[in-house]
Amino acid sequence: MGDKMEVWQGTLALMVLRTLETLGPQHGYGIARRIEQTSGNTLTLNYGTIYPALLKLVQEGSIVAEWGVSENNRKAKFYKLTRTGRKQLEKETKTWEQATEILGRFLSPKGDPA
Amino acid sequence: MKSLRAWAIRLAGLFRTARQEQELAAEMESHLHLHIEDNLRCGMTPEQARRDAILKLGGVEQTKQAYRERGTIPLIENLLRDLRYALRQLAKSPGFTITVTLTLALGIGANTAIFSAVQATLLRTLPYPHADRIISIQDSRLQGQSTGGLVSVPRFFDLQSQNNSFAALALFYFENPTLIAGSRLPESLNGVSASGQFWRVFGAQPLLGRTFSDRDDRKNSPEVAVLSYGAWQRIFGGNPDAIGRQVTIERKATTIIGVMPSGFDYPHGTDIWQPSHFDPADWGKYRGDGTRSMNVFARLKPNVSLQAAQNNLRVISSRLQQDYPATDASWQFSSQSLRDYLSGRFRPALLVLLIASGALLLIACLNVANLLLSRAATRQREIALRRTLGATTRRILSQFFIESLLLTFFGGGVGLLTAMGLVHAIESNLPGGLNTFRAGVDRPVILFALALCILTGIVFGIVPAWHCRTIDLNTSLKQGEPRIAGRSGRRLRGAFLSIQTGLSLVLLVGALLLVQSLWKLTRSPLGFQPEHVLTFQIALPRTADANASRNFYSELQRRIESLPGVTSVGQISALPTHDWHARSNYDIDGRPRTANHDTAAAEDRYISGDILRAIHIPLLAGRELTPRDEELKSPPVLINRQFAHEYFPNENPIGKRLINETGQFEIVGVIGNVRGTAGSIANAISPEVYFPEQGSPRRLFVVRTHIPPEQIVSAIRGQVHQIDPQQAIGKVRTLDDMLNASVIQPRLNTGLVVAFACIALLLACVGIYGVVAYSVAQRTREIGLRMAVGASRGQVAWLFIRQSVISTCFGMAGGLLATFLTIHLLRSLLYGVEPYDLPTILAALLVLFLPSVLATLIPARRAASIDPMQALRAE
Repeated sequence: MGDKMEVWQGTLALMVLRTLETLGPQHGYGIARRIEQTSGNTLTLNYGTIYPALLKLVQEGSIVAEWGVSENNRKAKFYKLTRTGRKQLEKETKTWEQATEILGRFLSPKGDPA
Repeated sequence: MKSLRAWAIRLAGLFRTARQEQELAAEMESHLHLHIEDNLRCGMTPEQARRDAILKLGGVEQTKQAYRERGTIPLIENLLRDLRYALRQLAKSPGFTITVTLTLALGIGANTAIFSAVQATLLRTLPYPHADRIISIQDSRLQGQSTGGLVSVPRFFDLQSQNNSFAALALFYFENPTLIAGSRLPESLNGVSASGQFWRVFGAQPLLGRTFSDRDDRKNSPEVAVLSYGAWQRIFGGNPDAIGRQVTIERKATTIIGVMPSGFDYPHGTDIWQPSHFDPADWGKYRGDGTRSMNVFARLKPNVSLQAAQNNLRVISSRLQQDYPATDASWQFSSQSLRDYLSGRFRPALLVLLIASGALLLIACLNVANLLLSRAATRQREIALRRTLGATTRRILSQFFIESLLLTFFGGGVGLLTAMGLVHAIESNLPGGLNTFRAGVDRPVILFALALCILTGIVFGIVPAWHCRTIDLNTSLKQGEPRIAGRSGRRLRGAFLSIQTGLSLVLLVGALLLVQSLWKLTRSPLGFQPEHVLTFQIALPRTADANASRNFYSELQRRIESLPGVTSVGQISALPTHDWHARSNYDIDGRPRTANHDTAAAEDRYISGDILRAIHIPLLAGRELTPRDEELKSPPVLINRQFAHEYFPNENPIGKRLINETGQFEIVGVIGNVRGTAGSIANAISPEVYFPEQGSPRRLFVVRTHIPPEQIVSAIRGQVHQIDPQQAIGKVRTLDDMLNASVIQPRLNTGLVVAFACIALLLACVGIYGVVAYSVAQRTREIGLRMAVGASRGQVAWLFIRQSVISTCFGMAGGLLATFLTIHLLRSLLYGVEPYDLPTILAALLVLFLPSVLATLIPARRAASIDPMQALRAE
């Protein structure tokens, strides 16, 4: 556990959106699973925290929810990206790329800005 | 946008449905199943798989709660839940809820009603632009009697020419002109004659047409008149064509030039305003007392303060004192803001009522606090249980506050309705004058009631809440006996009782004093008999000469005397309860004279006909006046007993002469004192001089009948019409009605304070009863134990009596102190009673003590009759 990272505040929504973009419609468990895998199991994620985040995105209109049937024939609630959600994803991806780039420049070992 | 949408959805989420709850459960269920299946596939045992799935989720209930909180707004949701819970709690004990609601309704209702009166008289802005710049200017004597602040015409012109403070300055006086419009019968109006700047002083704009100006006020300008909204509706049916119409006023052709909006009503009740047409040249020489009959108002220049205006008036006064030493030496101008002028006389009464209703509210609050405290004690276990289940102190406190606020809002709602009813009832029963200020439940009043609710809710809610703050969970859950019943709670309750008792004492003393005062005011002999007397006024045109008016009035006198049902008829210049401000100063023949310090000051009255019998004033010595006296240049006069008492204490006044600049008057008779000649019948009786009528055009008739006086009104109208078809009569009233109107305010004050005191007494007794009864119920086991070890029934009863008597005595001591500190505020409202009246205070103590002992004895007796065996077994 010691070398695993907590999910930063506010990044979970972005991860969810990105996951839905890649996988298409997906249920809560699938999204949580995928986020954990994508991080190469370096993130500790309480799967429960995904649900309030999903609800928030639904309330904001970025995703919609619909009951469906999973691949192994289980009833599950599936979440799908909306147009608003795509735009939001695009915008936030850009913001994050810029932020990490700037931070990367500051933190790079030979980051002597000569 | 996005977050707005989210908030809206969350707000809607406050009304969560069962379906949403099921859906959440289904989603959690499906999540766990998916996870468990995956785990099984990885080779875990079913038990391990389930455990891991739940662990990974972070708990099903926790997740659900986090989800729910995101779904709504937790603060509001909690609030709603507390509200629902509080409502359920209150519905479960309807007796408690109704008692508290009624108690608070009384307190809040009384305060709201009184506040609406205060708001209407003292706080609401006056309906004139920049009303704070308007002042009333008064002229008063440095020593001796003044004429109610009225100013003489020459001194008004002096003010006009010498001041540097006023943007506008105006005088006005009251008239009762007769108006004939087209083919209508002549009618008597309430008129005001004012100088040209009157409208600029009040900043008043007409609804139609125009108002008059200095130009219309010149001596020989054509006659014009401005109508009030009411008179316009009544006489012209609200027809805009009225503007420019010619009517006859005081036998002169007059043009109606304007109509005022219904909001402009100054002076109150005026039908018509006309220019006074005063010219300085006509008044220059004569500066004597007889002309002091003008109301003077001014609007301050923008940069002049009230203080600066005062100084300016003082400078002008001292200049006039030097310029006219013979007449003006002892007179000085002063000023007063319009608001003080209009409402100053109501202030002491309102202050008293405000204090009384405040005390009542405090008593109501303490009562409710005591009830809540008892309730909190019985709910201690419930609170301990909620604590153990994880409720925070904040949540419990908020629960308490919501309950008490809910109660005050019930009480406040009922109270507001009560106040509205009360204000309406009082309003519609008031005669003119007092209802100048239309009190009503308007926005500030409602805001006041709301603030009162919140404040009282916090005040009485904080006590039980504070007490439940530190509850020992262990003992409370285990024991049946609540802790608050312990020593500190009992002491607190005792303190509340003391305060209630003390406040009730203050109210009782006040009420008893006011009742005695009202009794004396209305029951002491008036000096005349108001029953079966009709009065009315006739005002011939001011231009009518003395002979013409003498003929008219003696003819009318004769005709009314011969009407069936009439006993006697007289004429007088002013009736009791009406302050005519006609005062003169006299030297008395044969007494040394000191400059500017007249020997005698008195009210003047002019009489004719058989006035002494018509109004029933006894002749004490000498003779009456005869019609022949009216024609003498220096006629004989009558004085009242007060005059004789003040100025001829050891002499016979008959035959003595009164002297002033207008003549010498021999005293031929002394008549009885009449209350109310200086305005209110509560005022001290002043010396009076009665002159024979000298041909004045305006008179009041006093007709004593042996049939109901209302029945002769039309006969009198007919007689007047026969003598002069152009003449109207006005102010037709019975003397009884006039007297009743004059005591309506003291009656109202007394009624309200008495009602407050009775409610206070009742609440205090209910409070005492409640506290003792509660204490008995709480200590049943202790009583049983005491009896079992040998306490007698008397000793047990004494246990409770002592506790309550101690609180009552403390309260009475405090109440006495408070009474001594505040009761002097009543002084100006009292007639014939001193505020510090020992018998009254003793009576109040007794009135308070007896019921409070009774309220103690009933539950104490119950304590004494407890069966020790049962009390112990009940555990």
